[in-house]
Amino acid sequence: MTGLTTPAAVAELRHELRTPLNLIIGYGEMLLEDATDPDQRAYLEQTLGAGRDLLSIINAAVPPSREEISEEEFTGLQGCFREPQARILAATASLLAQASGNPDPQFERDVRRIRSSAERLLTVELPLRRSDTHPPSSITAQPSARTVATDPSARPACILVVDDQEDNRAVLERRLRRQGHTVECASGGYSALDLLSRARFDLVLLDVMMPDLDGLAVLERMKANAATRDIPVIMISALDDVASVVRCIERGAEDHLSKPFDPVLLRARISSCLEKKQLRDSELEYLGEVAKVIQAATAMEEGSYEGAILAPVAKRGDELGKLARVFDAMAEQIRVREARLRNQVDALRREIDGVRQASRDTVSDAAPSLSTGEVFAGRFEILGELGRGGMGMVYRALDRQLGDRVALKTLRPELVRDQTLVDRFKSEIRLARHISSKHVVRTHDIGERDGVYFLTMEYVEGITVRELLDTRGKLGVAPTLAIASQLAYSLVAAHDQGVIHRDIKPQNLLLDAAGVLKVMDFGVARLAGETNGLTEVGMIVGTPSYMAPEQMLGEECDARVDLYATGVVLFECLLGRVPFEAASPVALIAKVLREPPPTPAALDPEIPPPLSDLVLRLLAKEPGQRPANAEELSQILSRLS
Amino acid sequence: MTKILLVEDNEMNRDMLSRRLQRKGYEVAVALDGLEGVAMAIAGAYDLILMDMSLPELDGWEATRRVRQAETGGHIPIIGLTAHAMSGDREKALAAGCDDYDTKPVELNRLLGKIEALLARNA
Repeated sequence: MTGLTTPAAVAELRHELRTPLNLIIGYGEMLLEDATDPDQRAYLEQTLGAGRDLLSIINAAVPPSREEISEEEFTGLQGCFREPQARILAATASLLAQASGNPDPQFERDVRRIRSSAERLLTVELPLRRSDTHPPSSITAQPSARTVATDPSARPACILVVDDQEDNRAVLERRLRRQGHTVECASGGYSALDLLSRARFDLVLLDVMMPDLDGLAVLERMKANAATRDIPVIMISALDDVASVVRCIERGAEDHLSKPFDPVLLRARISSCLEKKQLRDSELEYLGEVAKVIQAATAMEEGSYEGAILAPVAKRGDELGKLARVFDAMAEQIRVREARLRNQVDALRREIDGVRQASRDTVSDAAPSLSTGEVFAGRFEILGELGRGGMGMVYRALDRQLGDRVALKTLRPELVRDQTLVDRFKSEIRLARHISSKHVVRTHDIGERDGVYFLTMEYVEGITVRELLDTRGKLGVAPTLAIASQLAYSLVAAHDQGVIHRDIKPQNLLLDAAGVLKVMDFGVARLAGETNGLTEVGMIVGTPSYMAPEQMLGEECDARVDLYATGVVLFECLLGRVPFEAASPVALIAKVLREPPPTPAALDPEIPPPLSDLVLRLLAKEPGQRPANAEELSQILSRLS
Repeated sequence: MTKILLVEDNEMNRDMLSRRLQRKGYEVAVALDGLEGVAMAIAGAYDLILMDMSLPELDGWEATRRVRQAETGGHIPIIGLTAHAMSGDREKALAAGCDDYDTKPVELNRLLGKIEALLARNA
């Protein structure tokens, strides 16, 4: 025999069993007193007869003298209840069917109370050992402790019991509390919905037949509401036909139990529901955290990521937590890098601003041939001077036809003294316009007004590398590499179109505020040079420091002259001086043609030898010793960066 | 009219028994737990008390003891009611101060007999 109870527990059991019988017999007798209809009386007699049979069974099985009962005995006793209980349910069902036309609501209520009392009989559980009356020994206490630990329903949950019958509510509440759950009760559909809107429940036990708002309606409203949709619902109903059960399940009930339900079954179903809910809850929680990681990644992409989003996820011990921690670490690195970059850009911008101010001061001394505010050629409103170049004056202007800002360069008369020269300018500009690179300043057009020829170009808000070098002396390895790479890109794009610059020098390299390098005067620069001739270079296009030896000698030149010039520019960026310096242009030419250039790394040990070697290769007197083309230069630079 | 105080926590038991007693011509007042029962018993003029023994807050035995302690001169007949039907319940109820004792399920005629006997004794 297992599960022997104490005398106090047997007494409690007797109380639990006899209380519903008190109601069955009491209400039955009272209704019989009033009943006049022969059928009604017959059903009530059946009810009372079955009630008395149940009482006899209980009195015989659990007499007052009895002090203990085993689980097997109790299960057998419950089996004996079924037949008389079924008689009560059948008789009261007939009474209710008859009562549909009965104007007395109390009659129907009393019959329902008899029914619920009969149902309750089968939900009575064998009371647990009561340590307050008979303290168990440590040996007997152990199995009990194990039972609690392994019983899934022992996980405390918050359960809402909805039933219009007080007795049913009380029985369920007591039983569930005994299993360690927190229980709230509602006596109708509306009060249940009210409770659901105010508190969080893990499970709802929902009676189907209720007067104000029936269980199915409550279920439908719960499932339609996002806040209550995921709470599992077990429907409890006397209607156990397949159609009723299907109706409940179709409307989203987790389970269905028919009254009278077996307590063991109820416990198992509750346990199963709660387990499923726990799984669902943890799945939802996991998905929520995954969403946070996605949100963090999106924020990172938009540049608005704050580490706080992932802090709770990073505490997880699983793979997701690991991902969050790695993500946060990466984000931190990026933040640090971005901050450093921002500081560098800010510093550069301050320098650029300073230089721009200085150049404005310089330019203001020069006599402009166009004045600010003047509308030139009926189209270009002069906004101010940008500088004086080898070809003439450069202005910032507003193209009134296109509403766009442009750089406007007036050409000195000798550059365009005859139509042949003008045509060559036009042809070079057409050619240069095929170059498609963000590192090349676009030349728009050549025009003439009152004998003054002019070029219009893309306007770039920035400074030249010349201005930067004049301000800083030398630029250091990283900025030099940044300039070199972008210059190489522009040369690749230009040489692909068959356009050779021939006058690459710091004055023609523009840096915008974002640090993007743009090369000016593709195609046109050499015309200016050719037209003026070498004898005048010192005066017109600056020094010959950037010219390749073959260029100086008037030999046939190819794209590699631009590579030589690039070598000079890089040398100057790294060291703050050009490779060959001399007191006169003639002495300079002699050096360029004969002397080997100094090794940059020997002049400044900070310069990495591979970069130093590259500069020397670019400065090779023989074009064949230089990199074959701009593409090769670009590849070498990408390995150095 | 004879006034009976029914002390019973179970709503259906209360409803059923009070209605059955009213049908027999008694005036019935109800108390929902032991404390309320004691308070009403002391404050009101009842001819008899039906006291359920399993009550929340204060059980029927203790409630009966308190009613008896509060009495000054008079004596309200009290019938203890319980479904326990344990051996010794009757003695325990009488020891607490009940005049009689009955078990649930209530056999109305038997209970009415006890009520009338006590009322006659007290008259």
